[in-house]
Amino acid sequence: MSTDSKTPSLRSSLSEKLGRVNYRNQSRSEIKPHILVDTSICNSGCPHKCTTYVCPANCYTLDEVGKVHFQVEDCIECGTCMYACDQGAVAWSYPDPEIGRGVTWNFG
Amino acid sequence: MDDRFDCIIVGGGIAGLSAALTLAKADKSFLLIERGEFAGAKNVSGGVLWGQDLAKLVPNYWEEDQAGWERFITHRRLSFMDDQSSLSIDFKSVHLANPPYTGVSVLRSKFDNWLAGKVEEAIAAGTKSMESFIATNILVEEILMEGDTAVGIRAGEEEFHANSIILAEGVNNLLTRQVGLQDKYVPADHMLTGVKEILRFDQKILEDRFQLQGMSGMSNEFVGFATHGVEGGGFLYTNRDTISIGLVLGLKDLREKKKKPYDILEHFKAHPVIADMIRGGESVEYSAHVVSSGDARVIPAKLYKDGVLVCGEAANLLLNAGKAIQGMDYAMRSGILAAETVIIASEKNDFSEQVLCGYQKALDDSYIMKDIRNFQDAVHLLHDPVMYSKVPNLLCDFGRKFFTISNEPSKKASQLMKESIREHSSLWEMAVLGFKGSRAL
Repeated sequence: MSTDSKTPSLRSSLSEKLGRVNYRNQSRSEIKPHILVDTSICNSGCPHKCTTYVCPANCYTLDEVGKVHFQVEDCIECGTCMYACDQGAVAWSYPDPEIGRGVTWNFG
Repeated sequence: MDDRFDCIIVGGGIAGLSAALTLAKADKSFLLIERGEFAGAKNVSGGVLWGQDLAKLVPNYWEEDQAGWERFITHRRLSFMDDQSSLSIDFKSVHLANPPYTGVSVLRSKFDNWLAGKVEEAIAAGTKSMESFIATNILVEEILMEGDTAVGIRAGEEEFHANSIILAEGVNNLLTRQVGLQDKYVPADHMLTGVKEILRFDQKILEDRFQLQGMSGMSNEFVGFATHGVEGGGFLYTNRDTISIGLVLGLKDLREKKKKPYDILEHFKAHPVIADMIRGGESVEYSAHVVSSGDARVIPAKLYKDGVLVCGEAANLLLNAGKAIQGMDYAMRSGILAAETVIIASEKNDFSEQVLCGYQKALDDSYIMKDIRNFQDAVHLLHDPVMYSKVPNLLCDFGRKFFTISNEPSKKASQLMKESIREHSSLWEMAVLGFKGSRAL
């Protein structure tokens, strides 16, 4: 079985599993992001852009020209990016219970 | 009137709830603040709470029908894997089947919520039932300081004051960093990312497949191919009608090897040995969380200052020395010790460092710091590529040769072992490992 990061079946099975996660405030049209990423740092000389592969929820992606993009919607609050980013691009905090995103685990 | 609490506890995980239960039993007033919808809502763990501290905190918990735990562990297995095989050390015994058990599997969303119920019961049984609370859905954003003394917390516009604060906020310890007990940026070097999936089965199928009787359960740890060449290991634990399966992966190594945790987990699940165990399981939850490696270098040098104590994973208290991944028991004991220190401080009416330093002393004298110090060499060994790559490969190679019967004249096991060592490593490297291992373990 291939573990190529671009394997479409793995990406879609991850999306499917994240689709089962019980995210908070899903009915809100606007949420306050709990992680702020300065992608200008990622896209100007980061030697690894590691968040695009170490994030277990695939919140960080690379576009076709190699630029890093971040979305907080799928974040499961694991903390990986806070440690993995050694370039100072990730400002990590906990989601606001009322107007933030984040998870409620059914099993944990 | 003094409206200060004796203590504010930040975080309703195992450390915070154990502290709260200890304070409630001692009739101290406290406010426990949990940011999730309920205690446990935000918590993820591998899945086994080891040891007997739970029995001290909640006596005879196993007699309760609706208790929050899943199964008691009577069957333990440590497996070394290559791409096709696994060779295991397997121990099963009725000796482990009597209370107080050596470990119970747990699912945190349920377990922590149950433990919070015990705290509520203890509050109601005391005289501080109008002065002690568990508050959920509230995020503590800041520890309020007067000079260098912690005096309370701020959550949104609201401020609450207390004589002491116990930080039990978990591994992503932002408040511990704010009060200066941990560096603002913690590098990836001694941290791991855990990824886990819960697979649901018909309970009968699960019990038959893993030969479980009643509430007995199995724990299986994996070294080698499980992590696809990345530092770390795998685990599989049985719950009542689900399995917790997952990996812990060295964050720095993931970064260097450019691997995706989810992909490695799928790869692990597809291994023939694992596939046979999880066949037919329905994926009901995928989760992830950072976890400390148990390297003492990431534990803050000081876990207290005026008015504040740090416990559980917020203090990076965790150990995996090859025997078990211990983190929840450390959370429980450190929470208890922090609360006991607060109780002493409130009797002396002195919450300064001079009294709170007793917490660190108690921790140092407990099995937690004794084991963490004593088994550092084992931690380093487990995170050595020789251990998570070459050893599993050579053991499986040996297993294949030893267990294959060919109706040809056979070599002795020692000869087969030498051949496997030469193929995957060297006699010298294994001699060094054996020497280090015998000292470390």
